[in-house]
Amino acid sequence: MIIQRRKLTATVPTFAMGDIGFLLLIFFVILARVQNDSHIQWTPAQSKDIAPAAAARASVAIDSGRKVYLDGRETSADALAGALETVLGDAPEGSRRIHLKVDRDTPAETFEPVIEAISEAGGELTHILEIKEQDR
Amino acid sequence: MKLKRGQLLVDPPSSASSDIAFILIIFFLVCASVQPEDGHDQKLPRAEPKEEEQKQTKNLEVSITPNSIVLNGSPLNESNFPDRIRKELDERKREEDRVVILKSSPQTPYTRWIAVSQIIDQAGGLLTLEVTEEKSIQVR
Repeated sequence: MIIQRRKLTATVPTFAMGDIGFLLLIFFVILARVQNDSHIQWTPAQSKDIAPAAAARASVAIDSGRKVYLDGRETSADALAGALETVLGDAPEGSRRIHLKVDRDTPAETFEPVIEAISEAGGELTHILEIKEQDR
Repeated sequence: MKLKRGQLLVDPPSSASSDIAFILIIFFLVCASVQPEDGHDQKLPRAEPKEEEQKQTKNLEVSITPNSIVLNGSPLNESNFPDRIRKELDERKREEDRVVILKSSPQTPYTRWIAVSQIIDQAGGLLTLEVTEEKSIQVR
C-alpha cells in the first residue's frame, strides 16, 4: 500500500497587505510633515500679548549657543535669505509665514540679521513666544 | 442523557494587538508633533537699501540698549515709553509717517527687543529695523 505524502501548502497570506500598506503610508506621511527641531536648545521669551500661531512654511531658530537653524538644520544668517527664498518660492501673500524661535538671551547682533534675512526673502514673521508666568 | 453545553470561546484575540499598538504610537506621535505654538505676528517692510529710506519723511527713531530707551534722541523711563510713543504716533495720520526705526545696541537681549517692538506695534507703529552692516576691508 502506498501512503500518499501530505501536501504542504505554501501560500503567502495576502489578506493583511492592504492594512500594512495603509499604515506604512500614514507613517511616512507623518515623517515627511513633522519638522523635527526638537533637538534645538532654546528658551522662549515671555510676553503678555500672544495668540496661537498660524501654520508656517518654515521654522527658523536660534539656540542658546547662538547657532542659526532652518527647519532643524544648522545654517548661517548670510545663507538664510537665499534658503528661505527657495522654501517660499512663489507662494502668495498669506502663505509665506515663517516661525522664528529665538532664545531669550540672544543678543541683537545675532538675531537682527536673521530677521533681516526673513524680511529680505519676503517672509511673514511670527515670533514664537511663551505667555508670561503671572498671566497663566 | 445529559447534553454537554458547548464552551464559549473567551480568549481575547491577540493577533491584532501589535496593529493596535502601532496605531497608538502613531496617534501619540501626531498629538505630540501638532502641539499648537503661541506667538506674535510682526509686519516688517521688505529690506531695502538705505538711500531709498532717506527719501521718506522724518520717521520716529527708537534706540534701545540693555538698560535704556531713547526716543528721537531723548532718553525715557521704561514706564513712560508706551505713552510717549502712542502720543507721537497719534499725531501721524498717514501710514508712511507711522514708520518707527528701531535701533538696538549689539548686546540688547531678545527679551527686551521683543517687549519694545510689541509696545510699538500696539501703539500702531510700523516697525523697521536699522541694522549696521559689518564690512571687512583688507589694508595692504
